[in-house]
Parts: sequence; structure tokens; C-alpha cells
Amino acid sequence: MTRPSFFGLILIAPALAMIAALFLYPLGFSLTSAFTVPGGGFSLTHFEKAIDLYSTDILFTLFIVITSTLLTALFSIAIAGTLTLGETPWLISSLRFLYRWPLFIPFIVAAQCMRTFLAKNGLMNNSFVAMGIMEPLQATSFLDWRGIIITFVWKQVPFVTLMLAGAMASIDRATIEAGRNLGASRLRVLIEIVLPQVAQTLLVGLVLSFVTMLSVLSVPMMVAGSQPTMMTVDMAFRINSYGDYATANALGVISYAIAGAVAWIYLRHNVKREIAA
Amino acid sequence: MGAPVSAAIAIDSLHVSYGNQRVLHGVDLTVAPGEFIAILGSSGCGKTTLLRTIAGFQKASQGAIRLFGRDVVNMPPEKRGMAMMFQSYALWPHMTVLGNVGYGLRLRGVAKDEIRTRVATILKMLNLSGLEDRKVTNLSGGQRQRVALGRALAIEPEILLLDEPLSNLDAKVRLQLRSEIKSLQNRLGFTAVHVTHDREEAMTMADRIVVMDAGKIAQIGSPKEVFDHPNSPFVASFMGAENTIGLDIRTSGAGVEVAVAHGNPTSWDGAVPLGPVTAYFRDDVASLDGPDARIDGSIILPGRITQRTYPGGHYRYVVAINDRHFTVTDDHYHELDDAVGLRLPLASLHLFPTDTIKGENHA
Repeated sequence: MTRPSFFGLILIAPALAMIAALFLYPLGFSLTSAFTVPGGGFSLTHFEKAIDLYSTDILFTLFIVITSTLLTALFSIAIAGTLTLGETPWLISSLRFLYRWPLFIPFIVAAQCMRTFLAKNGLMNNSFVAMGIMEPLQATSFLDWRGIIITFVWKQVPFVTLMLAGAMASIDRATIEAGRNLGASRLRVLIEIVLPQVAQTLLVGLVLSFVTMLSVLSVPMMVAGSQPTMMTVDMAFRINSYGDYATANALGVISYAIAGAVAWIYLRHNVKREIAA
Repeated sequence: MGAPVSAAIAIDSLHVSYGNQRVLHGVDLTVAPGEFIAILGSSGCGKTTLLRTIAGFQKASQGAIRLFGRDVVNMPPEKRGMAMMFQSYALWPHMTVLGNVGYGLRLRGVAKDEIRTRVATILKMLNLSGLEDRKVTNLSGGQRQRVALGRALAIEPEILLLDEPLSNLDAKVRLQLRSEIKSLQNRLGFTAVHVTHDREEAMTMADRIVVMDAGKIAQIGSPKEVFDHPNSPFVASFMGAENTIGLDIRTSGAGVEVAVAHGNPTSWDGAVPLGPVTAYFRDDVASLDGPDARIDGSIILPGRITQRTYPGGHYRYVVAINDRHFTVTDDHYHELDDAVGLRLPLASLHLFPTDTIKGENHA
């Protein structure tokens, strides 16, 4: 046993204090508020109300976030795979230059851009019409669940790609060449040889993206209508319109649970790998 | 042109560049089926580039590569049907031994049971029986490279490329694997191209040695030919004849007279270039004699012993001749500072006219 060091404790005290004040206290407060009634005492009333009013929105949120995560994975793998296995130098260099831009654009700006891009008479439809791909009458607005997913994916793909391309660049290049040498096409090499070696990084990127998208308020508020909408919008609405912190906190706890479930999947996978290694 | 269609590998004036930097300047090489070729050279000479271009990982800017008559120069690596071993083993860490060795068969659509049987046969051949379900990360270096060899041989390739596969292994395993690869090659009859910077490895494994220098082939020949009759100062010093000494050769009667600064002249009747020449020789051709000895066909350089070691079996001396030092081995015991003669038999020296050596690229 090493002696607990008082000096060491002092060194980490500021960090601990920050976690306590900015995370643990609000978390405890919202948990208490979610599970108690004003008179005091444990109650699930707020959860009943939250599920009663917003069960569709909870499912909608799950659908949006899971779909966006899967699409983000797909696009990130495609881009990082092209960067790693591509053989067209100009394509690789332009892709490398372009893919990171959305990283530097905040969600709220991205949402605003998407409003003008995806609207019925927005840039996207106008371009399609101008190119003759689509008749003006066929133009529909994408400012609904599709708009949210497009914005999320557009915003999160660069982040996951950045992590994934870095991981792919650091695997032994000879393992890729060994695959191609034995007769595997580049797509097979990507799926069977490269991806399994970077699966851990992909998983981390997707878990972080999932949690980020779960907590974004601006995009569902600005891009889509109000029915159905995401839980963040409902929480804001409960607080701003009714001062109903208790239901908002109950919804918050459900969000924690969803994020916690994803984190659990990640941790379990991690532990499995460590045991296997 | 003119390489027979039956050649396993026929390379015609191959040029390769990395950007603006030219790495291979017109390489011509023909490898017969079943032949074991070693490409030897110092780092940066282009030997690995040549191998990678044959495999298809590096694009040729000019020239042709034909495998059994089939032009592959613009073919992607997966279509060339060769197998390769890498310096870093390049095993897939997420797969078991079975997964690694059987991958090539899986790509060729072989049924699962059949893969298992064939992998078992190969593992038996490589003394790895029973390791099918072991993770490759749990194997030793020697076992890993054996698995890599098994993976390459599983597809029964006609051509095996070896990119310094033994250089990461410790000395004992290296020797063992060296003879294993060689005997497998004899048994299975594949054509092998082995890139290495290890002279002994090349000499013991290959039927023919290709010495490369600065993106060109300096000499091709059997190990004995290249070792005993290097065609240039570069090849001579690369093959170990790193000591040099200036001689002056003039015709005298039926033969020649060989004069050396600070040494005794000698006459000889061997075929040698005339005029000022530089002799390249290995330590082991020199022997000790009396300082005033005169022996036809050998030059004697008088000097003094400055160092004596006993590595076992014989003594090793350092002999100072003027301001130069040569290492020589001898069975007899000599005191330090003894006056001796360093005897160099002319037949064992590699002689090159001094004029042509100037500006040559020495290793």
C-alpha cells in the first residue's frame, strides 16, 4: 500500500472541484428533481408524464440519432478508405482538403445553412432543377427528419473520418499490401483487413458522435418542424414555456440512460478486447 | 526484347520514379521458372523498388514486366497472382493462424472444410501443426514469419517474392528459416525473387545473384561467379573485397611485372590489365610471410604487426604497412612489432585500371 499523499490530493483538487461543481452537482440535482415530488419523497410521476407526452419524440430521437450514426459510419469509412487505399492522387488530395471543413462550423450555423440549402425553393432543389434532373413541381422540402439527419451526418462525418483516417494511416501498410498481393480487391481489403484493425477507433468516434447528436438543440429546432421532434427541443420547451423542470429532468435522465447504454456497449467491447489481448 | 516466352519473369528496360526522382534506370532481368534469384545491394540502390514494381505496388514509368509471357506492367497487384513475404511479417492481427494462412484460398472461393485441410497440410510442412486457432499476436517472431510463409505458399504461387523477410529475426531462427525456404523451394519448384542486403544470405540461398547499384544492375551471375570475378570495383567491394592497394603493371618478357610502392615487385604470367591498377581484396586472401620473401605470382608488402587477437582456431593480426593497416589471419604465433611480409597472391586480387575507377560510386 502506498501512503495517500496529501500533496497529490491538493494537485488534483481543482480538477475534482470542477467536476463536482459543474457536473456532479447538476447531475445530482436533476436526478433528485426527476425522482421526487414537490412534497418530498420518491416518485415516478415525472417519468410517467414525460413518457405520456413525449414517447413518440423519444423514439423519434432514437431513430434520428441511430440512423445518423450509421450513415456517419458509412460515409466516414468510404472517405477514410479512399484516403488510405485510393490510387488517384488528385482525388485523394482534394478529398483530404475538403472533408474537414464542416468540423469548423458550429451546429447552429450548419443548421442555418441547411435551412436555405434544403428548403423547397432552396439551393439543392434549384440546382437539381437547373441541371434538369428534376421538374420544379417535384421539388419538396427536406426540412423534416431528413434535414436533421443530413445536417448531423454532414457535421459528424469529418470528425469520425479524421479519427478513422488517422488510425488507418498508422496500421502497417504491408498488411494492406499482403492482402492485395494474395488477390483481394481494394474494397475487400478495406472491409476484411483495414476496418477490423481500426474498429476500436471507429467505435470511439461513433460513440462520441452519438452522444453529441443526442444533445444538440439547435438543429432539430431550426431544421425541422415541431411534430415530432427531438428530446432536447422538448426539454427546452418544458422549461421555457412551463417552468416545468421536473419533466425536463425526467427527459434528461432518459437521455443519460440512452447515452449510458451506448457508453456501456463501448466499455464492454473494450474490456473484452483487453481480456483477449 | 527477346526474352523467351517461357521465362517466369522477364523485365525489359524498366524505369521507375518517385515523383521527379528516378529510382530505377532501365533494368533488364530474366528469371527462369523454378530459379531462385537474390537481389543484393546497399540501402537505396532500388532493390526493394524493383521487387515492389514486380509485385505491382509501385508503378513503372517505362518498360515491361512479363510473367510467363503475360504483360502485367499496368495490372493492379491483386491480378498478378504472385505471393509475397514482407520484412514486417504483415500478418493480420485480427485473424487467427488459420484465417491468415487460409485467406488466399478464401479469396479463391475454396470451401471452408477444404481450406482447413489444406492449411493443416501447410502448417505441418512448416512445423506449426495445431496452431490453427492461435492468434498471430501470440506467436514468436520465427513462428510469425513461418505463418507468413505458409500464407504465401497456400495459394500455390508460381512466383514468390521475398522482401527481406529474414532481417527482423534473430540469427539462429534466420539460419533455420533460410534453409527451410530453400528446401521448400526445391520441393515445390516455385520461382523466387529474394531482396536482401545480407551477402551471405544471398550467396547461400540463390541460384543467381543480381547486384544492384544506384538503380541499375551492376552484375548478374552465380554466387561463385559474382564472388570470384566481380566485374567492377563496386561489386568487388560489395562482395567483401574492401581493401585496396595501388599497383603498377608493365609487360616484361612473356608475362608482366607487377610493381607496388614500398613492396617487392614480382613477375606473373596471368591475364591482367596493364598500367596503373587498383587491386581489391578480402582479408582472407592475405597471409603472412618473411619481409624479404620473393614469390612469383604474389606481392609481398613488408610491415610490422601492431595487434594480435585470438578469435579461436587461428590468430588474427593487424599489420601496419606505412600508414595503412590490414587485417590478416595466420596459424602461427608472432610477437607484436615483428617485421613480416603481407603476401597477396595476384590470382586472388580483383584488378581494375585506376583511371576508370575515378568517379565511380563506392559502397
